[in-house]
Amino acid sequence: MQDKQVTKKLEDAGEEILKQIDKGENPNYELPIRNLNNIFFDEKSKTIKLGDKTSSRQFLNVAHSRKFMQTMLVAAGLKKVIKEQATTSIRDLFYNMKHTIEGTDENTFDTQDESDPLIEDLEASLNVLREELHLIATPKGLVAGEVKIKEAGGSVIDVSKMGSSGWAVPSNVEPEKIEIKEVDADYVLFIEKYATWNRFNEDQFWKKGKCILLTGKGQPARAERRFAQRLAKEQGLPIYALCDADPWGYYIYSVIKQGSISLSYSEEKLANPDTKFIGLTTQDAAEFKIPKDAQIKLNKEDLKRLAEMKDYSWFKKKEWQKEFDYMKEKGFKMELEALSAKSIRFITETYLPKKIQTKDFLP
Amino acid sequence: MPEEKEDKKETAGSTADDLAKEFKEHSVAEFFKKNRQMLGLTGKIKTLTVIVHEYVTNSLDACEEAKILPDIEVKLSEIGEEYYELYVRDNGPGLTKETVGKALGQLLAGTKFHRLIQQRGQQGIGAAGCTMFSLISTGKPIQVISGTSHGKAFKCDLTIDPKINSSKIMNLEDIDKPFKGVAIKAKFKEVKYQKSDQSPLEYLRRTAISNPHAKISFTEPDGTTTTFERSSKDIPKKPTPIQPHPKGVTVDELLTMAKYTKSRKVSSFLKDELDRMGDKAIEEISKSVDFDLNTDPKKLAWEQAEEIVKQFKKIQFIAPRLDSLIPIGEERIKKSIMGIVEPEFLEVVERKPTVYKGGFPFCVEVGIAYGGNAGRQAGTDEDGRNVWKSEILRFANRTPLLFDTGGCALTQAAQSIDWKRYGIKDFDNSPLTIFIHLLSVHIPYTGAGKQAVSPEEEVMEELRLALMDAGRKIYRFIGYQRKMAEKEAKRKMYYKYASEVATAIAELTEKKKEPIEKKLHEIVLKHLKLEEKKEAEEAKKMEGLTEEEIEREYEKKKGEGKKGKGRCKEEIKGR
Repeated sequence: MQDKQVTKKLEDAGEEILKQIDKGENPNYELPIRNLNNIFFDEKSKTIKLGDKTSSRQFLNVAHSRKFMQTMLVAAGLKKVIKEQATTSIRDLFYNMKHTIEGTDENTFDTQDESDPLIEDLEASLNVLREELHLIATPKGLVAGEVKIKEAGGSVIDVSKMGSSGWAVPSNVEPEKIEIKEVDADYVLFIEKYATWNRFNEDQFWKKGKCILLTGKGQPARAERRFAQRLAKEQGLPIYALCDADPWGYYIYSVIKQGSISLSYSEEKLANPDTKFIGLTTQDAAEFKIPKDAQIKLNKEDLKRLAEMKDYSWFKKKEWQKEFDYMKEKGFKMELEALSAKSIRFITETYLPKKIQTKDFLP
Repeated sequence: MPEEKEDKKETAGSTADDLAKEFKEHSVAEFFKKNRQMLGLTGKIKTLTVIVHEYVTNSLDACEEAKILPDIEVKLSEIGEEYYELYVRDNGPGLTKETVGKALGQLLAGTKFHRLIQQRGQQGIGAAGCTMFSLISTGKPIQVISGTSHGKAFKCDLTIDPKINSSKIMNLEDIDKPFKGVAIKAKFKEVKYQKSDQSPLEYLRRTAISNPHAKISFTEPDGTTTTFERSSKDIPKKPTPIQPHPKGVTVDELLTMAKYTKSRKVSSFLKDELDRMGDKAIEEISKSVDFDLNTDPKKLAWEQAEEIVKQFKKIQFIAPRLDSLIPIGEERIKKSIMGIVEPEFLEVVERKPTVYKGGFPFCVEVGIAYGGNAGRQAGTDEDGRNVWKSEILRFANRTPLLFDTGGCALTQAAQSIDWKRYGIKDFDNSPLTIFIHLLSVHIPYTGAGKQAVSPEEEVMEELRLALMDAGRKIYRFIGYQRKMAEKEAKRKMYYKYASEVATAIAELTEKKKEPIEKKLHEIVLKHLKLEEKKEAEEAKKMEGLTEEEIEREYEKKKGEGKKGKGRCKEEIKGR
């Protein structure tokens, strides 16, 4: 979508509100609801999708008024960013809009936590991508492997020559910005943790294992997920996820595979429905004889999250239900680093090759 | 060993002997000297307040008797460590050279014992007790100046001879300057002045509230003078003493009365000295007791008196006369509280006199003052706004009760009210002054200290009814005030955001900000007016309701409040 079209959408939204004001009505803005109550798992695309429930954010409502004001500020702020042809981080935008309301001691925004969800609200209601709004989240993803990248207006980067630091995923990985070339790999290994990614990269596992190593350093941002999707779609590479054996690690896998609840409006462009879960599972503990010392007892919070996930429709597959039940029954979780209890290179030399060889995956 | 035994025997014997001897030799004054707590003078801070009370009560009573509007000046100076000089001066009828000794130098000289009358009452042992305490703590006499409207004024030093419970007057001289009233200068040690809820200043403030006809000024040791002006020129009518009602008389009281009666027969004694005692009742009693009612009442034995009192409980009597009570009065209380407490809003309720325990007439007056300077200011919050605590001002027969707060029925009655029902969300932390006045010919104090009222069922009931009645009246005001404040806060909030919204819409649509903002303001005002109208309609619905229906509405609203959280969420619609 071109800048002009995006700007028009923002202006139209403003015109709509102005019309209400001119008619003397209570100004209100209709937004899709972005929570568990209004998402569904789309069997066709195998991703999470946004439902059609909306809510009305009203100016003359004590509970909405501040948020309504903030939403309008975000819309106006976005228009300005596009007009100036700049690319701004969502943090920049927050500082740009934050000021003291005249004659009061109240700030328009107190924290970035207030502005970020409103950006997502507008993305969802106007049906535009964050990239189209010239907004970026701070990139944090890293890639290693046999692949060459050509950035628009730049030179070709050989990722295999990037050494131990790897290639940093830029915030915008859309085809207009980035071209993926000369891939020599059989699969993508999407790793939750930087430390584990670093172990694989240091051992040059991408060479031995013929794969591309990708990490989002925890919960992956849009760019890493979009990049993985392009590798899958354009190069036909399967994606395997390697996460901690705990409810949070499983949820990261689920976001990589079918998307997140808050970004459910654009998951078709971000999700990787064919991703498989390579590990870590609690069932691996017995299989690989991981020492008991490396296991961590589940806390209350873990159990609550586990119960929630057991109910998600996209986790209803029997293999996952079995893993959830096993975890609950045994009452422990494990981090990827637990494998280091066997030996430092156990994960690259024994664990992963065996998993891939025996195709011991969770769907 | 045997020696020890002998010792013990001797000690025991001599103790009993000594006691008897002491009892004979020692006067009432000597007794109180050794039992200071019986003067009501315990605690360094409380003692000072009780002393001020004794003098001021004397002045008020004297003025009332002489039908004079009292002007009372109290001054306290610190002259050493825990050493103070108190100066009290009134414009009353004054004491004469003949009466001054008895009034200020003889314990238990008052005429107030065994009388059923609404009276201020002593808390300790009267002004003579103060003279006594001055002597005990400093060894010094008190100084008195007094003058009546005719004849010369005089001054003297006065103290008590504790051995014979009699005054000792020294340095008596006439003075030439005209002087009317009594001025007393007395020194006290082992006392302490401290600003608190129980200080003389607070005591005088409350005294001024319950005595709107008095002007009282007080100078603290640091030189600060506070004057409580009179708000009424009506001198309270003198309450009439009433004869004890048979339902309210004890065996001991009956015997005391029998001792002093002029009647020659028990039957006529009962008829003459007790209220509502008719021939029919006498007949019933004579039938039920096993002794002759024609005997001399002075010869009445304890057991016989006991039997008579037992019969009183069984017989139905007409309720006692209620005209013996003189309330302060709704209007006078209002003026007084408005002047001294300075609240924003005030409701006063005066209940009709009634009877407790079948024999004691009593009456309650309550006031609820809210906002303004009502309550006690308890510092400021983080934003520098004043923080208020509520206060309960207790009075018994116009006398402030400052001590034993928790153990008093007046406090308990106020705390038993569900104040939330009357719009007071946090009773302890509200700008609230509760005035509670109990008047009776016989205040049911919990103890000899006379600082707390015991929770007699009928008294509690009356107190609660009065407080709830005043609460209902104040609810309308608080509710209205709160609504207005909420509305104004809402308007301010919408206006504040309107400015930002207008800026954003102006940027999005490339139009001017000002007209958009102006229109938003109009929308806000229209919206608030509509809300007000809806609320008014709802309030109208409430008006015609009975107490029970209001109760139900209240419970319903409470339930809605809990559900209210859900309403705050953005309204959900299907697309």
